[in-house]
Amino acid sequence: MTTVVNLLTRAFFMSTPLILGALGEVIAERTGMMVTAVEGIFLIGAWGGFIGAYLSGSCLVGFLLAALCGLLVAMLYGLTTVYMQQHQIVMGTAIAILVTGFCTFFYRVIFGVQTTPLKIETLKVIEIPLLSKIPIIGSILFSQNLITYLTYILAFVSWYVIFKTSLGLTLRSCGENAEAADAAGIPVTTVRFLAVAVAGCLGGIAGAYYPICNVGMYNSEIIGGRGWIAFGICFLGNWSPLGALVFGIIFGISEALGVYVKALGLSGVPSELFSALPYLLVIILTVARRQFRVPAQLGTNYVKEE
Amino acid sequence: MKSRKADFIIWTALAVILGLIVSFSFLPLLNVNPVEALQTMLVETFSDTYTMGNILVKTAPLILTGLAFAFTYKANLYNIGAQGQFYVGCICAVAVSLGLAGALPGPLVILLAMLAAMLGGGLMGLLIGFLKARFNASEFLVSMMSTYVITYVMQLLLRTVLQESKHEYLKTDYIDSSVWLPKFLSGTSASIGIFIAVGAAILVWLILYKTALGYRIRVTGQNMDAARMAGINPFVQCMIAFAISGAIAGLAGFIEINGMQHMLLTDFDTDIGSYGIGIAILANANPIGIIFAALLFGVLTVGGTALGHSTDAPASTIDLMQGFVMLFVLMSFFFRKKIELNRMKKQTVGAAEGKEAA
Amino acid sequence: MSVPVVELKHITKRFARVLANDDVSITIHQGEVVALLGENGAGKSTVMKCLYGLYRMTSGAIYVDGQEQKIEKPRDAMNLGISMIQQHFSLVPAHTVTENIILGTCRGPIDYKKKEQEIAELAREHHLDVPADAYVKDLPVGTQQKVEILKALYLKARILIMDEPTAVLTPQESEILMQFIRGYVEKGNSVVLITHKMKEVMEAADRIVVMRDGRVVGTVDKEEVQETDLAHMMIGRDLEDLKKSAWEESADRKPCLEVRDLSIRPKNQAPLLENIEFSIREGEILGVAGVSGNGQQELCEAIYGAADVTSGQILLDGEDISHLSVRGRIAKGMGYLASDRHRYGMVSDMSLSENMLLKASYLKTWVNHGIIKRKKLNQDTQKAIQDYSVKAPDCSVSAGSLSGGNQQKLVVAREVGMGEKMLIFDQPTRGLDLGAINYVHKTILEEKERGKCILLVSTELSEIFALSDRVMVLYQGRNMGIYQADELTTEKIGLLMAGYDPEKEKGGNGDEE
Repeated sequence: MTTVVNLLTRAFFMSTPLILGALGEVIAERTGMMVTAVEGIFLIGAWGGFIGAYLSGSCLVGFLLAALCGLLVAMLYGLTTVYMQQHQIVMGTAIAILVTGFCTFFYRVIFGVQTTPLKIETLKVIEIPLLSKIPIIGSILFSQNLITYLTYILAFVSWYVIFKTSLGLTLRSCGENAEAADAAGIPVTTVRFLAVAVAGCLGGIAGAYYPICNVGMYNSEIIGGRGWIAFGICFLGNWSPLGALVFGIIFGISEALGVYVKALGLSGVPSELFSALPYLLVIILTVARRQFRVPAQLGTNYVKEE
Repeated sequence: MKSRKADFIIWTALAVILGLIVSFSFLPLLNVNPVEALQTMLVETFSDTYTMGNILVKTAPLILTGLAFAFTYKANLYNIGAQGQFYVGCICAVAVSLGLAGALPGPLVILLAMLAAMLGGGLMGLLIGFLKARFNASEFLVSMMSTYVITYVMQLLLRTVLQESKHEYLKTDYIDSSVWLPKFLSGTSASIGIFIAVGAAILVWLILYKTALGYRIRVTGQNMDAARMAGINPFVQCMIAFAISGAIAGLAGFIEINGMQHMLLTDFDTDIGSYGIGIAILANANPIGIIFAALLFGVLTVGGTALGHSTDAPASTIDLMQGFVMLFVLMSFFFRKKIELNRMKKQTVGAAEGKEAA
Repeated sequence: MSVPVVELKHITKRFARVLANDDVSITIHQGEVVALLGENGAGKSTVMKCLYGLYRMTSGAIYVDGQEQKIEKPRDAMNLGISMIQQHFSLVPAHTVTENIILGTCRGPIDYKKKEQEIAELAREHHLDVPADAYVKDLPVGTQQKVEILKALYLKARILIMDEPTAVLTPQESEILMQFIRGYVEKGNSVVLITHKMKEVMEAADRIVVMRDGRVVGTVDKEEVQETDLAHMMIGRDLEDLKKSAWEESADRKPCLEVRDLSIRPKNQAPLLENIEFSIREGEILGVAGVSGNGQQELCEAIYGAADVTSGQILLDGEDISHLSVRGRIAKGMGYLASDRHRYGMVSDMSLSENMLLKASYLKTWVNHGIIKRKKLNQDTQKAIQDYSVKAPDCSVSAGSLSGGNQQKLVVAREVGMGEKMLIFDQPTRGLDLGAINYVHKTILEEKERGKCILLVSTELSEIFALSDRVMVLYQGRNMGIYQADELTTEKIGLLMAGYDPEKEKGGNGDEE
């Protein structure tokens, strides 16, 4: 029983950055923009987050710097796709390569060659008074760190904004029919650019979660495809923040499983398969869940003849 | 038409140069003089045959992964998972080479290894294409994820059945030298792999532009509805395109195993897939252009390594260079188009004024 | 007269490829309907899009209520009380009527219940039958147009621009629209009606502005002008007359295409086609009339093998081809000119020769053992370019670089070549200028003379009457009857198009569902 509780606590802990990244992706994709630079945004978030936290000694500074870095990369992506109409998938790949080089190069510029990896203190768990004392649920849901709480709140808030407010209507119409939104007086390109920028901030924070909350170190392999998983969660969750929440938790569980394999008495199964599980899960779920309600103009740039 | 091609080459060259200048301008941060670094890079790269051979060694698989991305790109599909299909090719090639070397004549084993690698990569590609065609699963997401899955499967194999006899590291034994791809330049490690790669590029060009098969793939890519209305089944085209793309990536694995590395180990050529995408973009997905774009990446990789050896510049400088080059090339597409539009606008002004005068 | 509500002064709009408007000046007064008449491509829509802020004009000035205004985006136009209903509606299909109408007009949280009531109230007030909570994608086109009108009314527009509003309506629905427009201008509003239909202009407009090649060629009051004068102003030259040979029913003409009991009934959806039966003989043109979206495209695709047919049989020359794919039917000698040529008929970025090859990639004509016979393909394409007088430098330029009319000629040339036995033309002249229309019509009649059987779908009744031997009317996927072309009047066909059968009325076989 304690193993299962620990496993679920860990699952919620690991789901946070995936959900956060997916929420940013949902917001952007609702306007028609696939943020295919997401892996690069996660990576630069991890890089900036670690540097900020290491140099200042404050996790908050780390997260702020991570958000800023994510924002800048997203703005580069937005500039080249929204305003310069480059292909979204192609551009995302180019930015991923650039960011990989950039992070490694400037890590070296800032810290030089290190023989032992630099460490930072990870973000503390906040036990919510009373609630955390509830058996089982208390330790799973209410003994997490600040970012996790904020992420879960944000999921509900963004659901409300997207489906119940005029801002949400504006976002959605840009992704469904940009021409119609334009004719209704909505500045489509601005909306799309800003949505990408928001996705960049959230993605940056999500990336920083790995060094600051999880391992306390940085290396260039730290993200290892998790940005893409967040991207997949947005798909699987049918472009809904609550869907992203549900699938984020599922992926959190699959990640946590890798850690608890032995404890659960599953040592007969090769550990590599557990490591591969989240990625395999994306494939299986994408194939199994084919009734997607894709925003009609997802991935197409809005080009106006002039 | 001709002038547009020339335009493209000039603009791309300018973008490449700008990318290099920008990335070199960061070097002073590491107390490396950019001018000296450039000198070192050029001298070290082009002074001896060994490193020049190395350029060809690096170029060969990059041509193939570039082609792999370009082929599906022509069908408006996105095979981001060339890395995974490359690994499948590696596994097949190394397994065949280890298993059959000695039992069969060397050249035959080489041929079998090549076919196995292409078949393995091709089946992997076909699977992705099938999931796309049958279930409408996003091929972008599936191919991306497949790379990670295959990476772990490869690790598992390297830890178990394929592991070296000493059972120390996650790698295979060396394959027998009888199944190595023959070298064609003495004093270098350049194998005939480069000819296979260039041959593949020419073949892909022929398929795409001279055959009905390639024509149908391009039609599907550019206008799926029109293809359907012309009796061309888009799903079939999707699977064919993915299978061919996967086979090309698998071939890259064979060239790396039998031509260069002669064994398989973990974290092997981890960037080859994404560089392939970059190369395809640089060449605007033109198979012949890909040869030259891959050569550029090959030079940058070898030059960057040389830079790392003799100065304080880290290997990541290469990624930085390649990243900026791609970014600026993509941006140059935009500016080129903008300038062309303006030129056309001026022409319509001229035409209108001509009308007025008449 | 008082100050005009809107004055467009010397507007020029230049795109990269074309000069769309050249020094266009138009005045709109309060309480009048201004018709903007011209052929396709005359620049009518472009100048109105400049007024609505969708395009930025290259030069010129716009005065509203006598004051110069900078209209840079649609929002500026809306704030001045200008609304525009575009030819292709600006609606979000996946959103509800209410969401579409309030888009961009409110802030903060939305009380959908309240807004829906508000919209329903507005609809009642103006006698527009629109369900406020329905999804736009579920509504027929006629109702979608009403949503667009509601949107303008919700914004309290006083100048309403309508781009080809009757293209999607039956004659009777058009009549109702015209009544609405009358009532609307009587309240002191103004309407700009963009159209290429002379009849509509004579019915509804107070003043007529005729455009040609991006310029205004004349502004006239309705009372002072004849239809023939307008036609001449619009076209600038005379057109040759079509000669339709008289159709003789004779027994030696054997049926070429037979369609038996054809139905398409998708799950959980209204049927798209129901029990369609007809046959076309060699050398006969069967016209299919109907408001667009009543199953015409499905019918064409079903005959061509591109639709999932629920039941029914299709016979070509007595041979059952129901189970053949598109590829098989192409091989049997069928040609299909789809209504949306950009979507179904051509590949813009490919050369003219490659577009010629489109439907023959599995045939032996230009392909030998999988290798394209480039030389023969180019020669044949060159010949088609000459035969059909396509204006193109040579066969290597991209199809997208041609004008719409020339693209259509090329596609027609291809389909006529492919369809040795039968041809399907779906809206063959949509979006073409009159010269090109004339050419396409001549080609269709020539093919008829050659003995091919032809299915002609059109929403333009004039086209149906000019070419068809017999006419079938489709309404909601049902065959409303097949008539000899000369036994139909506009009024009768209009009723049939609305699903109302004047003869069977007593039998109760009208629109009862």
